[in-house]
Amino acid sequence: MSRSFLFLPGNNPGSLQNLDIFNADSIIIDLEDSVTFDTKDEARDLVYHFLSKFMFKTPSIYLRINDISTPFFNDDIDVLDSLEFKGYVLPKATKESVISLSKKTDKSIIALLETPMSLVKSEAIISLKQVDAVLLGAEDLTTAMKIESTVSRQEITYVRSKLALECAAHETLFIDTPYTDKDDLAQLKNDCLQAKILGANAKSIIHPNHVDVVNTVFSPTTHQIANAKRILKKAETHQKGAFNLDGKMIDKPIINRAKNLIAQAKKYQLL
Amino acid sequence: MNVSAGSYESNDCLITLEPAAELECIIHSVVKEQFGEQIELVLKQTLAGHNITHVKLVINDKGALDYTIKARLETAIRRMRDLDE
Amino acid sequence: MTKKPIIFSYKQLPEEIDIHDFKNISFHHHLRNGDTVLNNVLQIYENEHVKKLNLFPSAIFPAYTKILDLLKNNQINGITTNYMNGPVADYLSHQPLPGKITMQTHGGRARRILNNQTTLDIAYIASPYVDPYGNAIGYKGKSVFGSMGYAIADAQKAKIVVLITDKLIDTKLEDPEIDGSYVDYILQVDSIGDTQGIVSGTTQITTNPIGVKIAKQTTSLIKELGLLKNGFSFQSGAGGISLRVTENLKEEMVHLGITASFFSGGITQYHVDMLEAGLVDKLYDVQCFDLAAINSLRKNTNHMPISASVYANPEDPNQVIKDLDIVILGATEIDYDFNVNVTTDSHGKIIGGSGGHSDTASESKVSIIVSPLIRSRIPLIKERVTTITTLGKHIDCLVTERGIAINPKRQDLIDKLSKTNLPLKTIKQLQEEAFKYTKQPKKLKKYDTMIGDIQDRTNKIIDHLYKK
Repeated sequence: MSRSFLFLPGNNPGSLQNLDIFNADSIIIDLEDSVTFDTKDEARDLVYHFLSKFMFKTPSIYLRINDISTPFFNDDIDVLDSLEFKGYVLPKATKESVISLSKKTDKSIIALLETPMSLVKSEAIISLKQVDAVLLGAEDLTTAMKIESTVSRQEITYVRSKLALECAAHETLFIDTPYTDKDDLAQLKNDCLQAKILGANAKSIIHPNHVDVVNTVFSPTTHQIANAKRILKKAETHQKGAFNLDGKMIDKPIINRAKNLIAQAKKYQLL
Repeated sequence: MNVSAGSYESNDCLITLEPAAELECIIHSVVKEQFGEQIELVLKQTLAGHNITHVKLVINDKGALDYTIKARLETAIRRMRDLDE
Repeated sequence: MTKKPIIFSYKQLPEEIDIHDFKNISFHHHLRNGDTVLNNVLQIYENEHVKKLNLFPSAIFPAYTKILDLLKNNQINGITTNYMNGPVADYLSHQPLPGKITMQTHGGRARRILNNQTTLDIAYIASPYVDPYGNAIGYKGKSVFGSMGYAIADAQKAKIVVLITDKLIDTKLEDPEIDGSYVDYILQVDSIGDTQGIVSGTTQITTNPIGVKIAKQTTSLIKELGLLKNGFSFQSGAGGISLRVTENLKEEMVHLGITASFFSGGITQYHVDMLEAGLVDKLYDVQCFDLAAINSLRKNTNHMPISASVYANPEDPNQVIKDLDIVILGATEIDYDFNVNVTTDSHGKIIGGSGGHSDTASESKVSIIVSPLIRSRIPLIKERVTTITTLGKHIDCLVTERGIAINPKRQDLIDKLSKTNLPLKTIKQLQEEAFKYTKQPKKLKKYDTMIGDIQDRTNKIIDHLYKK
């Protein structure tokens, strides 16, 4: 249950030791794209010693390791898996690479879908048991498709919808692609709203200054919270199941959704 | 042949190792007055953990915390050993 | 009104004025690192081998290197200033003067000059726009710098007042900042400096995520304290985090539909934008930090230049900051008693000074220190600061990226905040959090050769400087 997944570069001590101050629900410590080939070992050692020394209740910590085609994939897991963290973000995920990773760890897996083929076969990945979430990597995807990234993000409407639907079907979290313009917070908000409308549950972030906007958009609204409270209050007096509220039928799934929403609101200190 | 790891950037340190007749630690740090002894302790403990006694170590530190110093030294040690093989 | 004598070159200066006899000489720092007047005037003093000088520059910037030559020639007896940074400060940290260093505040300096406790013999005043009667303004000319606030008291009280200008006009100036009746000489030169030099790296809004976080917390704190209401007054200085707070407040003000009565102190583009957007009624400008501020001062009648005395002299009936609600300030160190140091670093090297820090902290209803908890492994919070710039009794709140500490002396503020979601901690708790990362730093040996005093605005000596 996270709204925001903030990427931080794994070889940067200044970022690591401040990872808990940015209000992100989850942190993804990156060993992949932000780390150059000749410093992969440095970053791995740094993250190892950092996580050996410091424990976090919040935020949840994920590691983006290197993909299975690289020699670093096994090293990353072998060195780091014994540490206390929530799970892995697996780049260029395929069904086969997720299965390979799941054989090496019991930790949860976020599949990073960023190639055209992975999006064609996304449901097979999402349906895997250890996959708790998928993350859409739109920059690599659009590059592979040789199409432009636009401000409106019209070009990824279909893949967002596709992943939202498949994730909903398999009760898996759908994390939207990051917004890349560091300074344009207004457009970031539009981008978040667009993703939320299409069914994203959370958003990945590549700059700490984006966290608040993302958290706000992906939090339950005050109206939703008030409504959920009313539903739960009325449910207490109607032990038998379905009842009527504002002319609408309220049954068990709706009551459960209200409970979840209140739990979320509590977690995010919105009550 | 010497090896190094880390960087001379804020919150980080650059550690260089080269073979030597005995153990020598040279510490340059922006916080040497406050943390010089602590830095030396971390370096020496880490080297001792690997039974390394014949090395010249130079650290250029810009406020790295203990875990960073230890990690950078571990990387340098592995790189030195990989070079030997 | 008689015409003033005009001197045509620095070289003529010793012919007109007995520079050997008048030892107490003052300068202002409005051109900041772009100033060439101080160096050029002091070059004459070097050439003429003037001894036992007492310098009273309102601040010393890295470019003011001629002071260094005079120090090495042993021509300087004492230095009194409000801020110093760069090679001169480095040198003075290690080499005691025959006399001493006296660190003052902007308000305290003006106060002592105006009530005759400080005797200035000659005031050398770089002036961008001067008429033949010695009237001057700072916001027009070739080498504009805006408000002339720090030079006003010097002009009023120095025995000899010399304006140095690169723009002498023929017509009479109305509403001057420097009144020509005080002026004895006008020194006409090719250039008084480079306007671009007033813009320094610190006057940019921070985008550093830690700074952004601190600014956000500060904005929340101001809101929760109930200070964000129609007609409030505010001073932010030009630090990156402070400017970010200003930006955040702007958004809040637009959202709430309220306006501020005034902003004071050093003025930047960010303050000007808010004036032009109608979000604040008046800017009281003692110093322009960028070109946008200078342009605004020239054209906008609600943007007013003020003297250091009107700004912050506690004896001035018009003192602006006595009506200040909120001030945001920085710190290199803060201690258990909330004493703040912005004068030296943790090693005792001189790196700054009060400027308006302790003036505004004293007068403002709420003073807020904003700072990262750790800088390059050095924790902000100490048991006792290396040097006291501003006494803890004037400091109300500390905002860091890992929480907010309120001075226990302000129980009223603590009560107001008790039911909020703000991450309130004691200052010792915050220090422990820092130590979790840094470990406890070794206590440095206290140096014992006293080389100077820290004066607060009421003339009290509140601490000393020691030779490193």
